[in-house]
Amino acid sequence: MTREEVYERLNQVFRDVFDDETIEVHDETTADDIDGWDSFEHINLMVSVEDEFSFKIPMGKVVEMKNVGEMVDIILKLGE
Amino acid sequence: MYMTITSFQFLVFVTTALMIYYLVPKAWQWVVLLMSSLFFYHYAASTRTILFLIISTATAYGSTIWMDRIREKKGESAKSVTALTVTALSVNIILWFIFKGYEFWAAAIKGIEHFHSTPLSGLLDVELVAALGMGYYTLQVMGYILDCSWGMIKPQKNPLKLFLFVCFFPQLTTGPISQYSQLETLYQKHNIRYENITHGAQRILWGFLKKLVLAERAGIIVSGITGNLEHYNGYYAWIAILLYPIQMYADFSGCMDIVIGVAEMFDIRLAENFRNPFFSKSSQEFWQRWHITLGAWARNYVLYPLMKSKAMIGFGKFTKKKFGKKMGKFVATSVSMFFLWMVIGIWHGGFRFIVGVSLWYWIILMMGELMSPLFGKITTKLGFKTDSFSWHLFQSSRTYVIYAIGITFFSEGVKKGLLLLRTATGVISKEISNPWIFFDGSILNLGVTWGDINLIIIAVILLIIVGVLREKYGYARNWMDKQSFIFRWSVWIVLFLLVLIYGKYGPEYHAEDFIYQRF
Repeated sequence: MTREEVYERLNQVFRDVFDDETIEVHDETTADDIDGWDSFEHINLMVSVEDEFSFKIPMGKVVEMKNVGEMVDIILKLGE
Repeated sequence: MYMTITSFQFLVFVTTALMIYYLVPKAWQWVVLLMSSLFFYHYAASTRTILFLIISTATAYGSTIWMDRIREKKGESAKSVTALTVTALSVNIILWFIFKGYEFWAAAIKGIEHFHSTPLSGLLDVELVAALGMGYYTLQVMGYILDCSWGMIKPQKNPLKLFLFVCFFPQLTTGPISQYSQLETLYQKHNIRYENITHGAQRILWGFLKKLVLAERAGIIVSGITGNLEHYNGYYAWIAILLYPIQMYADFSGCMDIVIGVAEMFDIRLAENFRNPFFSKSSQEFWQRWHITLGAWARNYVLYPLMKSKAMIGFGKFTKKKFGKKMGKFVATSVSMFFLWMVIGIWHGGFRFIVGVSLWYWIILMMGELMSPLFGKITTKLGFKTDSFSWHLFQSSRTYVIYAIGITFFSEGVKKGLLLLRTATGVISKEISNPWIFFDGSILNLGVTWGDINLIIIAVILLIIVGVLREKYGYARNWMDKQSFIFRWSVWIVLFLLVLIYGKYGPEYHAEDFIYQRF
């Protein structure tokens, strides 16, 4: 999986979770940039990401990630 | 001797500990903190209960070191790690439940008794030791075990260092509930710094003002009214209902100011527990600003694992299929939130919090979630200026009243809370109308003077000023530090004199225990 492929699928997940077709995420995107991305939606997002990529993200990683870039790093690592 | 954190003895104790702390070789500083913590607990609680601290630490230490070994041998995803985590957590929960969950198991025993006699009834007469601070350190220990289990932190190899994390004295009896990663500074070397001492002392002074000048006075009025509702009815009930949140805030956040200030003098930063909760525009925001560390704990260690569990994900898929995307998500969210509020309710150790706060807020927050699109439409239709000060004031007042009603049940119990609310609504239905009590001095029968009432008003105004500064500058001190020397010192001297002259303390006066020391 390349970084670009992850982003393509990730954008779909974001659009679906936050109900906004215009969302386009990149490395520096954080929770402040997206309307409705609070601690609660964060877990819904994580569950959808797990569903999309078919693996489990460890709890530690879920709490630690600070922006979408880190999220992509984690996805790439888990997808290896 | 019984040492509370507002007592003179406590101040002497902290000063002595500070001197030793900064005089000993820096590698020993954490040992000074550990000894001080045990000394404090010996005088603040009963010595026997140190045993519970030790048991709690032992489960945390043993299980996490063992976990580490298993991981080294069998790799990251060993099933035995999960089993070990569950066992260690269970021991802590059971211990907590025996000592702090009395109301629940007593109710269960009485329930059984109702149908047939049971030898369990004898348990009701057992006098439990007051396990001071157990609610707080149990949560810290559980968080530590889970952090290790999730691989977020490396276990602490020195059991005495871990013991210090569990029993660090400023926060031991009332929180804030710290995460291990935030408190690793406990083991580092600390230089004495002028700002730490002054900022810490200022914060302690501010805490004393909140507790001894404001909370204690407000408490006299509130308990005077709720203690004699037949006599004090009508508008009195509103005074009690609306004043109690201020008392509660001054009490709990004042306590936190003292705790955080003391820790700061030792060059240890504790997490903030409050961020101007009464400035919140919604109940949802309120809980992000009130008792923050408990909320964060419940989110990280209850809500997240629950929402990520197989059962909950399956349930979410089921509701989506059944009710459609939006409604399905709402139903799943409601169920998760219900669990979260129940855990917070159970932690508070009684049915009154579960009914008055947990259920009340669960309904309010879920209604808010459901109605907010509709309300949004209505306000735009009516053309309200939603970014105006008056609109914010309306929103904050609404949030305040919602809190005031919920907390009434918590403080007075369900039955009496209902009675209080019924009395209060008697005013609206014109059953009892006594607005003159505000003017004819009737309030003075509650045991306060006009001077006391003026002091309450002055203290509340001070609280608002500091609140506004905090919103604007991050901390009120950031603004204060920029002011001239004369202004700063005048403020500190006035505050000091206010506490010294008008604080409710001294040998003949026994200040009420902090409300949040019960847990």
